[in-house]
Amino acid sequence: MNWVIAIIKVVFIWTWCLLWATVMTWAERRGSAMIQDRLGPNRAGPFGLFQPIADGIKLFTKEEFRPKTARKILFNLGPILFAIPAFSAYAVIPFGDKIVIGGKEIILQVADVNIGFLYVLAIGSLAVYGIVVGGWGSNNKYSILGGLRSTAQLISYEVPWGLALLAAVFVYGTFDLRQIALSQTGTFLGFLPNWGVFKQPLGFLIFTVAAYAEANRVPFDLPEAESEIVAGYHTEYGGMRLGLYLFGEYVNLYTLSALCVTLYFGAWNLPYIDMSKFLGPISYGIASFVVFWLKVMVFLLSFIWVRWTVPRFRYDQVMKLGWKALIPLALFNLLITALVIQLTV
Amino acid sequence: MAKPIVKKKYTLTERVYLIEIIKGLGLTFKHFVFNVKASFRPGPHTVPTCWQYPEDRREIAPIFRGAHMLMLDDQGRIKCVGCGMCARACPAQCITVKRGKVAEGEESKYVGKTYPEEFIVDLTRCIFCGFCEEACPKGGIVLGPEYELAQYTREECILNKEGLIANYYKAKEEGKLKPPRKPVPVAAPAKKPAAKKAAPKKAEAKGTEAKGDAKEAKAKEAEAKKAEKEQKSEG
Amino acid sequence: MEVRRPTIEDWDNPGDLVTINIGPSHPAMHGTLRVIAQTDGETIVSAEPEIGYLHRGVEKLGEHLTYHQFIPITDRLNYCSAIANNVSYEMAVEKLMGIKVPEKAQVIRMIMMELARIADHIVCIGILGVDLGAFTPFFYLFIQREEIYEIFEWYNGARLTNTFGRIGGVEADLPEDFEERWRKLLPNLKKAIDETDKLLTHNRIWMDRTIGVTAFSPEDALSWGFTGPCLRACGVKRDLRKDEPYCFYDQVDFEIPVGKHGDVFDRYIVRMIEMEESIKIIDQAIKIYKEFPPDAPLMAKVPKIIKPPVGEVYSAIEAPNGELGFWIKSDGSDKPYRIKIRPPCYMVYQAFPELVQGEMIADLIACLSSLNIIAGELDR
Repeated sequence: MNWVIAIIKVVFIWTWCLLWATVMTWAERRGSAMIQDRLGPNRAGPFGLFQPIADGIKLFTKEEFRPKTARKILFNLGPILFAIPAFSAYAVIPFGDKIVIGGKEIILQVADVNIGFLYVLAIGSLAVYGIVVGGWGSNNKYSILGGLRSTAQLISYEVPWGLALLAAVFVYGTFDLRQIALSQTGTFLGFLPNWGVFKQPLGFLIFTVAAYAEANRVPFDLPEAESEIVAGYHTEYGGMRLGLYLFGEYVNLYTLSALCVTLYFGAWNLPYIDMSKFLGPISYGIASFVVFWLKVMVFLLSFIWVRWTVPRFRYDQVMKLGWKALIPLALFNLLITALVIQLTV
Repeated sequence: MAKPIVKKKYTLTERVYLIEIIKGLGLTFKHFVFNVKASFRPGPHTVPTCWQYPEDRREIAPIFRGAHMLMLDDQGRIKCVGCGMCARACPAQCITVKRGKVAEGEESKYVGKTYPEEFIVDLTRCIFCGFCEEACPKGGIVLGPEYELAQYTREECILNKEGLIANYYKAKEEGKLKPPRKPVPVAAPAKKPAAKKAAPKKAEAKGTEAKGDAKEAKAKEAEAKKAEKEQKSEG
Repeated sequence: MEVRRPTIEDWDNPGDLVTINIGPSHPAMHGTLRVIAQTDGETIVSAEPEIGYLHRGVEKLGEHLTYHQFIPITDRLNYCSAIANNVSYEMAVEKLMGIKVPEKAQVIRMIMMELARIADHIVCIGILGVDLGAFTPFFYLFIQREEIYEIFEWYNGARLTNTFGRIGGVEADLPEDFEERWRKLLPNLKKAIDETDKLLTHNRIWMDRTIGVTAFSPEDALSWGFTGPCLRACGVKRDLRKDEPYCFYDQVDFEIPVGKHGDVFDRYIVRMIEMEESIKIIDQAIKIYKEFPPDAPLMAKVPKIIKPPVGEVYSAIEAPNGELGFWIKSDGSDKPYRIKIRPPCYMVYQAFPELVQGEMIADLIACLSSLNIIAGELDR
């Protein structure tokens, strides 16, 4: 019976991620338009809500072309290598607390493993391969430039990312994401909610900056900087291959936001209220799911908000920021966390 | 020569990226909230800076230079006499006019004694400068308010007489006919006493005596040249 | 500095260098410009620009159109600020013929030219933002540019290619509601400039991207023939409106912003301050305009067919991009013998290989945007 439940969870979370990636395309266009004093898509359905469906149909039905001199295997492999890690990284992130259906208690998480976010880190590193392979296989100088820039950037920002997460491990004592989410109930210092962001403010900052870099979003979007290298690694792509790159990017964003919420914003816990006390088991499961999703939405919207406000970095400035500013800061954060824990425990 | 090396000096708030970024985020957030509230208003024109064509069109000025039209007077007679001044004035050479003499029974249709037998305006060549309108002595051709000129074939872009008159009727129905241009006041030719009178008068009016040297020199040069010309024409 | 130019051998045996063709159709090329860059990783070893993709034979056209018919053609040179081109040409012909333009017409010319200057600087700053990744100031500024277009439309009938002015004056008086429109536009324009300033100028990411990028010394700039904002950003205080005043510029009060290092940031700041100075000039000019009676002459007495005396003339004004000059040689007939246009972008673009050598690809794009190379003017 368990494997049926597992399959249902996998299918559900896969569809859910994909759904919100498409809604993000709508939110991006509409949100950017609202910031820039214009209307976004508003013809396809009320407020343009059917625009992602139209975009999806467009991408599916476009011609699948390939430049003649592009290496066929690598060219086709690139988008796949990029999209699969994006979806599979979500497996260990909880999307709610437990729910009771038909007498059986089901935890709302696809795989509750005790290496937790190490798995996310590992899978996230695989995404680099998708970009490099796609960039090289296109046989286009702009794509190669985009691929190289992306490699350097993604690898460099994994180090501060890992270090910030390491400090979180000090605080929570475990890698398992479900345990981390469960331990963020109650209050901290008497009046603050017991969330990670209040225990680890610097760690949260470093995590956010590294998340922008990992997701290739402005201000770190030089791998696909449109005005410099004409769409970078996905210059030569069209049709659903391009769709896989673009959707993979949004799913990546969703995963990163979910990770951020789980570690620093209390996953499904409301600030001072404990929902399990006054809600039945089924409605508690649904309520925790909804609260988690709302928090992830806030983060996703903030990605859009920052994109349209800030200019982008140059390549060497990204490297300088990652190696010379973020890593010392992350090490400092680690030191302070260790000191505080040693002195208070 | 080596390129100058620039040392970057930042104030504290600039050094920490975040403070200025957060200020910028506040600004875009204000715009965002305003526009979201505006987008819920009824009607096609919701966000004030966004016109949703084709339901919502901007108001264009009465003197807008769009597609041409042949003018009729209030008795319905064509004003154009087919003189061809517009064709000569056109920088893009897009007007073709053929003049014909008005036949015996057709005097009620035309104002003048001659009429344009053929009047073809090639909109694919026209640059909409308005020189034809300026050159016309009778006010016969005028640039109208029509700017939606896209067609499917090249032949439809060439306006002949019927098309031009149809443009006139269309503009008249929509009430977009503009009044004829007022001629611009022209300065009297600079005679010496007049120039001397004009210069101190203007200086008094503005209360500034120190006009640029270049201007004075130019005025003197112009006067000298005009004096020479007058002498030459007299002599 | 020894500037390395790519050669034919580089195409065949590049060695360690990668030859990138930043081609005529590229999201960041303004108009159709081509740059062939040789890069070592991300650093540019040599960059060769190629022009001529928008050559339309404007100077040749001038040889078989009359002096009056050439005015709409000058519109299409620097199409972001068409009025400045018109006025420059008309002033050249008036200088050749010795015509004195009535003063009310000069004030109207000055007001319109300053509005065109604001429009051109809006384009440059907006596009500089877009090329560096800041997409929003572009929209905020362009909304105000639409309002400036409205003012042009109510004056003349055309928004972009206004065939403004005639030889000897202007063709129409300012509309009655001109001042009302200007008063309505002014706070919004100031607000847009202010918002751009808040979003960009003190933002460290922007400052990192633009300070120190393609700095240029004043001696180099003068020897290459720079004029306009690019020269003033290098530290040389030269502006034709103050040095050789024309129209009514000597009777209005304005400052000339001068930069220090000649880098992208200085060019950006010089353009921002110039926009504010233009606003000051227009305000003062409207006051001067109101002192003229409504029936003051707007055109000098000019013969119907313009036949200048035999001779040649060079006349230049301070267009938004620099010194825009017209050299006209006349042989006494009603069509010019030769018109030569001195485009400000051409001199600036000549220095491009030297400016960009040793910088990174991202800096190449920033530099190109900040120089405000307009292909219509460059290639004529």
